[in-house]
Amino acid sequence: MRPNPLWSRRDVLRTTGLASLGLAAVSCAEEPESPGEGADAAAESPSPAFTEPTTRLSGSLSILMWSHFVPSHDEWFDQFTREWGEQTGVSVTVDHIDVAGVPARIAAELSAGQGHDLMQYIAPLAQFEPSVLDLADVTEEADNRYGEQLEICRKSSFNPTTGKFYAFGPGWVPDPGNFRRTMWEPVGFPDGPRTWDELLEGGSEIMATQGVQLGIGMSQEIDSNMAGRALMWSFGASIQDENENVVLDSPETVAAVDYMVRLFQGAMTDEVFSWNAASNNQGLVAGQLSYILNSISAYRTSQETNPDIAGDTLFVPALEGPATALAAQHVMYNWIIPQHAANPDAAKEFLLHYTANLESAAYHSKLYDFPAWSGLVPNLKAWLEDDPFGSEPANKLAFLADATEWATNIGHPGPANTAEGEVFGLPIIPNMFARAARGEVNPEQSVADATAEVEAIFAKWRARGLIGGGG
Amino acid sequence: MTQAPTATRPSAAPATGRRRRLGDREGPLAWLFLLPAVVYVVALVGVPFVLAIGFAFSDVSAGDPSYDWAGLDAYRRAFDDPVFWQALRNTLVFTGVSMVLIVLFGKVLANILIADFRGKWLVRFLVLLPWTTPVALSTVSWLWLLDSIFSPIDWILRQVGLLEGNMYWLGRPTLATASVIAVHVWRLVPLAAVIMMAGLIAIPRDIDEAARVDGAGFWRRMFEVTIPLTMPLIAVAALFGAIFTFTDMAVVYVLTRGGPTNSTQVLASWAFVRGIEGGDVAQGAAIALFLFPLLLAAAVLILRAVRRMQVM
Repeated sequence: MRPNPLWSRRDVLRTTGLASLGLAAVSCAEEPESPGEGADAAAESPSPAFTEPTTRLSGSLSILMWSHFVPSHDEWFDQFTREWGEQTGVSVTVDHIDVAGVPARIAAELSAGQGHDLMQYIAPLAQFEPSVLDLADVTEEADNRYGEQLEICRKSSFNPTTGKFYAFGPGWVPDPGNFRRTMWEPVGFPDGPRTWDELLEGGSEIMATQGVQLGIGMSQEIDSNMAGRALMWSFGASIQDENENVVLDSPETVAAVDYMVRLFQGAMTDEVFSWNAASNNQGLVAGQLSYILNSISAYRTSQETNPDIAGDTLFVPALEGPATALAAQHVMYNWIIPQHAANPDAAKEFLLHYTANLESAAYHSKLYDFPAWSGLVPNLKAWLEDDPFGSEPANKLAFLADATEWATNIGHPGPANTAEGEVFGLPIIPNMFARAARGEVNPEQSVADATAEVEAIFAKWRARGLIGGGG
Repeated sequence: MTQAPTATRPSAAPATGRRRRLGDREGPLAWLFLLPAVVYVVALVGVPFVLAIGFAFSDVSAGDPSYDWAGLDAYRRAFDDPVFWQALRNTLVFTGVSMVLIVLFGKVLANILIADFRGKWLVRFLVLLPWTTPVALSTVSWLWLLDSIFSPIDWILRQVGLLEGNMYWLGRPTLATASVIAVHVWRLVPLAAVIMMAGLIAIPRDIDEAARVDGAGFWRRMFEVTIPLTMPLIAVAALFGAIFTFTDMAVVYVLTRGGPTNSTQVLASWAFVRGIEGGDVAQGAAIALFLFPLLLAAAVLILRAVRRMQVM
């Protein structure tokens, strides 16, 4: 006979069953935290504008977007969407996720054919064109209301080969140079470097005399991809031409790579090969970098965490190279509506409502976000000349008013097409520079190897009819 | 004569009685308890595996999930890419070196953990922490420890006068490779130690005492008694270490994202970069499937080792 156990099997089953039910009930009863509560609008913040939707809306709208680098933007945005939902009778939910996880999440939802109705990312989403709605109507309507969309945004949301607006691009963010005045003054550049040659000369001098390096990444991440393109364009090189033919293997690209080798040897350390999205901000705030290519987010961070560094940080536009002075956009907002979206009408109306309030977006992002229609934020120039967020001097950001003159899209001089999107998602360009800088191969070989990879990608997408060229 | 099954059941059986019978019947209950595991394996291993095979012979991309047969195109693209071969080589090197170090340190740790000393349970708890911490979370901690500017390891080395400047752990291929292997070893040694501890505890004391009486020293007992007797468990620990290293992409992805210049790229991370970040799902699937043959061999070896243990 078995001994009488303290707990019979039945007791265990009953207890664990009840416990599971209890836990489930508790978790169902919990209210999710409502983000954005307590967002306090400053006295001078723009008033929200509301336009009645052209069609009667109902149902729900789910939005997937990045967690903005400037947190006050998300506080404003969540409140903004809630109010719009109340005004239109649409139940809106917003999910902010880390920027690095957005492309994978979008890919997963498109593959599953379900998920959010509206998705946003900070780089062109051309690779998702076959699975998203054409947003020509939204862009056209915005053009009708606010004038012509900036070319940088149009080329980052429109595929000329298929004639489809795979995304709606209502805004973007410039990518200027950030430099430390107290480091550049002693080497004869109190206003910072204005050309790539000055960057090499001054940066090397700072490295030699002050032991502080430059921060231009050559790693497998997004900032390094943008920095590499800025250098190439300024040297007259590019991945594709305006007709979407691969032109990477050129003397100009080799010259750009050769320049990067010299810049690395004179002014940088192996740190740039382990660069990540936070390295710019960390290094600048810690006073460990003399120059970085970044938006103003690192500066805004240091205004709060290290005001001395913020006061010492100044900006320069894209550096002049042998051919021109161009930088990539730091952020290019792309909003897509997937084919599986349950409420595309609400998504399109929301995009137009959001566009009408880009002035609020610019303000609550602390002048990080710029509009795709220049007239939409009439106060932008005044704010940049007299920063409402405490810059010293107050006109420190004034140079950004002309940012469209020295900023261009991924894919320049062509569009941000599917092939450019895949190349941008891979470490091909950063590695092209890094392999030569590390001495693994010479610049010519590095460019040739990168070109072979790029051509294979272009050929694949050309065969599918999604990009032009090849003739 | 065989009794009819109904004869053993209570005759008056209201709803509660039926529930009792179900709870008391071991066969259905066993299946009921197994069901979550079966569903889990089928849904999260079986289905993705079949999908991966399908995708590898298609032109599926992140933006276009529609299925078109593309034969071996994805494999051709993968083979033409030198990074694939580098990733394959790195995967084998990382796995091999990690496996040796995991077994070595696991054995040493197991010997320490079976010794009698004050605070043994606390030490055992602390030693197991790396294994119980989610890999992505612990790797983020390592990312900070190995940071190019703020590395506390560098700071300590500078304080004791062994270093000037920085090591740039993740910015130099050799150091980045060593860092990835070190993190794998750090997180998997506890698992190996616990497995081997079970083997060490199971060795009858009289065998060890007999060896001592015969004059065998520590090393001789180690190599001629302890290791042979625990060999099946050592093999299991080694194979688990190999599988977890071979299939992991989190450590590489968080620490180096495959850099510098793809010097730490492994098949799992390259499949993700190509398939998801690059959007070429077909090629990503083709690369990922290269993990399968070795995993299959490892699984067979593990099952054989376990069987041998049962026979012993």
